[in-house]
Amino acid sequence: MAARHILYLTNASLVSLVVRGGRVAERQAFPNTGAGHERFEAHAQAHRALPAHVITDLAEEDFRLDTIPHLGGRDREAVLARKLSQLFRNTPYRHAIVQGREPEGRRDDRVVYTAITNPEVLRPWVEALERHSVPLEGIHSSAVFSGRLLAELGLALPHTLLVTITPGGAVRQTYFLGGEIRFSRLTPIDLEPGGTLGGLLAGETARTWQYLDSLRYFTPADRLEVCVVAHAGDQPSIAPELRDYERIRYRMLDIGQVAARLGMKPAPASSSAEEILACLFARRGMENHFAPPEVRRFATLRRARNAILAGAGAALAAGAAFGGWNLALALEAREREQQTLERVAVFQRQSDEIMRAMPLQDVGGETMRDTVTFYARSLRAYPTISGFLQPVSEVLARYPEIRLTQVAWQAADDDKAQPAFAPTVPRESPPVRAVARAPTQVPAGAATPLAEGGDGGFPAGRHAVAVLEGTVTVSGLGFRDALARIDGLVADIGRISGYRAAIVDSPLDVTTRAAIQGRFGDREPAPSQARFSIRVSRTQEPRT
Amino acid sequence: MSAASPRAGVRSLRLAWIALAIAIAIGAALAYGGHWFLGKVRRDEASSRTQLAEASARLAAARRESEDFRASAEVFRDLVKRGILEEENRLELVERLDRLKREHRLGGLEYEIAPQRPLAIAGTATFTAVDVRGSRVKVTARALHEGDALAFLEELSRPPRGFTPATRCHLMRLETGGGESLAPRIEAQCTLEWITLKDKRGPRAR
Repeated sequence: MAARHILYLTNASLVSLVVRGGRVAERQAFPNTGAGHERFEAHAQAHRALPAHVITDLAEEDFRLDTIPHLGGRDREAVLARKLSQLFRNTPYRHAIVQGREPEGRRDDRVVYTAITNPEVLRPWVEALERHSVPLEGIHSSAVFSGRLLAELGLALPHTLLVTITPGGAVRQTYFLGGEIRFSRLTPIDLEPGGTLGGLLAGETARTWQYLDSLRYFTPADRLEVCVVAHAGDQPSIAPELRDYERIRYRMLDIGQVAARLGMKPAPASSSAEEILACLFARRGMENHFAPPEVRRFATLRRARNAILAGAGAALAAGAAFGGWNLALALEAREREQQTLERVAVFQRQSDEIMRAMPLQDVGGETMRDTVTFYARSLRAYPTISGFLQPVSEVLARYPEIRLTQVAWQAADDDKAQPAFAPTVPRESPPVRAVARAPTQVPAGAATPLAEGGDGGFPAGRHAVAVLEGTVTVSGLGFRDALARIDGLVADIGRISGYRAAIVDSPLDVTTRAAIQGRFGDREPAPSQARFSIRVSRTQEPRT
Repeated sequence: MSAASPRAGVRSLRLAWIALAIAIAIGAALAYGGHWFLGKVRRDEASSRTQLAEASARLAAARRESEDFRASAEVFRDLVKRGILEEENRLELVERLDRLKREHRLGGLEYEIAPQRPLAIAGTATFTAVDVRGSRVKVTARALHEGDALAFLEELSRPPRGFTPATRCHLMRLETGGGESLAPRIEAQCTLEWITLKDKRGPRAR
């Protein structure tokens, strides 16, 4: 908790209390004399950095009760200001407190006006504070603030009269009705010979009760609770004199217990209540009552300076926090980067080792690469005619009525290649034959020269294509059987993995594209050989 | 009453305003500096990740290349043994054809070995280290049985040394016309390519 500089002002003196951490850290009293004022100058200079609060406990403090129509905002402020200027026109130290509303009628606001009617009481002290630019946060009424003490002690009774002893040797009596201040009065402690403090208090409180009763604050059933704050050492001279009556009841509040209840250490050494009020004020605070704005200007400037510096600190902290957060992320990223770079170095080292360990051959690497590549692409799986015909021969073995007459085979770059061959004419042709295309006929048994295609290039050999020509035996006009056999042969070859087969020349072309000629004699036709040709191809997997 | 006027009040706050300005500047510098540094480190980190990916790819490629190299080296040794980089030995082929004729009991054998030429290879990229050369060999063989002809062609196209793949073949059944049991019944006409490679940088010790 920040230190507060509480200046408790009475008519006799000013008590300076520096409250820090809930305890009075420093206490000095300055009598209301010229010497006292001079000493206070030095004190104000020394404590100019602390925010100051003046708590007044003066005989010149006046209280007036009033009701005003219930207004809001600025209208109420204007009414209260006008009333204050009317009531207390000779002092700038005045204040109005709206305490509640009337229960009946227009439900007007209940207001208490309070003022320090003689500003000269304050002048020397306030001028000293101003001369040293002390930030005066406010001038507060001790009587008004003492209501907080009752609330803090749990004594918010219907009719309470709080009796405190001030450092100037006076008794402050403040009457609260339902927690609202209604009356306050300061009486000097001027004991007659043989008199006691208890007797003085009993007499004064009785007079106060009579005054309040004359103002009709009490009904016959009401009882005034008088709370007397006093040191344990003074209580023997007080308590015996305070006798409860039917309508007055006294409660002795040990100032030590009050201090303990408020968490104040150490407890005050006398019955004077300023330290208790100062500590409570430092903890709870209260709005300014009497100080006009020009008196509070140093406090205003101080708050502005603090706000600016707080803003500066916030800006610095925000920048540092954001920068630090980014830095932390950056350091994490940098660590990851270092780990990554280490892995890069490991990979690079392994690559270099592999490259260094790669066996060097007797010939240049490029020669080896080209040679192996050429072999892999062009020679390794190059097709051969025997390899091509082997599976086909196994199928042909199942068709004894079919006899091959020639095979034209070639390795090709695509499967559309068509090996050239010259069709043969069987010696025992059937009596019925199709006449469609006009292939170059060669005599049966005559060898045909190998048709040379291409321009001397070397085919890639991804495909092997062959035309198989043969004859199938036809009994009489049994072309259906012959056609069925050729179809079966083509289908069986097509079932070999990677092979495709199609008829090129049928034993008898029965489509409408071809003409059909028949030649019969007197006798039944003898078994004959019908020519056919089929195209067979095989595709190999791509080679790398 | 030094701070009574608004101007005096502002003057008394001058240091505070200056402190605020300095704090804002320092805070902004810290924030920007941190943000800039983070951006730089993240860019560096991204760059390092790219380097890692590249290094990983290089390592994988090196491993592949090493494995390919080892495999290729074995293949290459076999190919060199089979004489793929040697000059044609035509006399050896002539003698070999004669030997095959006898081994496969061919009824007749005719052949023609064309002059060697640069060989155009369909669909294959050009080779920077070797020249591909080919000599076309045309063979006409007559056999009693197609099995003999096919065996002859198989052995001819897969020699123990050199590479002579057959690019096209034509097998035809011959009409014997009579009962001559020993007359050739199958004629095979084939075209082969005798392929050799030549190291463009001259002969090397292999």
